[in-house]
Amino acid sequence: MSTKVAIIASNGGLFDAYKVFNIATASAATDAEVGIFFTFEGLNLIHKQAHHQLPLPAGREHFAEGFKNANIPSIPELVAMAQEMGVKIIACQMTMDVMNLTREDFIEGIEVGGAVTFLDFAKDANVTLAF
Amino acid sequence: MSTQIQANKTLDCKGLACPMPIVKTKKAMDQMHPGEVIEVQATDKGSLADIQGWAKNTGHQYLGTITEGEVLKHYLRKSSPDETKEEKKYPITVTTDELEQKLKAGDKTTVLDVREPAEYAFQRIPGAKSIPLSELENRLHELNPEDDIHVVCRTGNRSDMACQLLADKGFKNVKNVVSGISGWTGPVDRTH
Repeated sequence: MSTKVAIIASNGGLFDAYKVFNIATASAATDAEVGIFFTFEGLNLIHKQAHHQLPLPAGREHFAEGFKNANIPSIPELVAMAQEMGVKIIACQMTMDVMNLTREDFIEGIEVGGAVTFLDFAKDANVTLAF
Repeated sequence: MSTQIQANKTLDCKGLACPMPIVKTKKAMDQMHPGEVIEVQATDKGSLADIQGWAKNTGHQYLGTITEGEVLKHYLRKSSPDETKEEKKYPITVTTDELEQKLKAGDKTTVLDVREPAEYAFQRIPGAKSIPLSELENRLHELNPEDDIHVVCRTGNRSDMACQLLADKGFKNVKNVVSGISGWTGPVDRTH
């Protein structure tokens, strides 16, 4: 009966990461069932090393200070929080093959699947978002 | 006269940005018992709308917010899964409209509000007497068993239990106001 939120993350910048994980953690905290499908550059957001140092858009580097001043949690903190609240993280197998990545390159506790894995989750979602 | 807002738990979210106040509120609420009230202190201005949206979607009850300087104090009451459903076990009921007409006509009756003090502080029927359901049995001496008493809560569920308790204790003219404050369209008093 609970709300189901399906998110596609296909971009790999810091702004993209905040959009994805803020919505995901807020939804999970509001008792929604949340699944995120990470594909193409979106895989950066769950890559073991890359998600610690995601780039700001070119010319927007000065926002780094704004994030700090506003006391915004880091992306690794948000990811951990999301996982703790049961957000399902699905990495796209096809993109991993293209980029020559394996499950070991990513954070713990993820699923790996193809497009249908996500579609199966998203088919009865109340909210579907793409970032 | 100022009524102190009582909370069972205070959660400090000052200095935290979205979505942290919501995430922390959810975690704190998971540890609480139904009926308990939490005070969430936040400086994130977006939390004012977020807390209300969160309460609406999780079924918990948003009571209100007090602003003190930069700090927003949000008050929420944890609901139990079955309380939003209205149950009518006590047979004598009146509607909120009937009660409003009666008060308007100046009929002598006691309006007994059995919600928590924090709920009472934010919105109540003018002149209503506050005795939370959990304290009712120990405070029966404050009421007269011969009086005409209208019992209200938020939805008519807690007041139903209060009516049954009062009837058991020999109160003769007790009525449950169905739909409670949530259905009340008449004038209200508030402390904050």
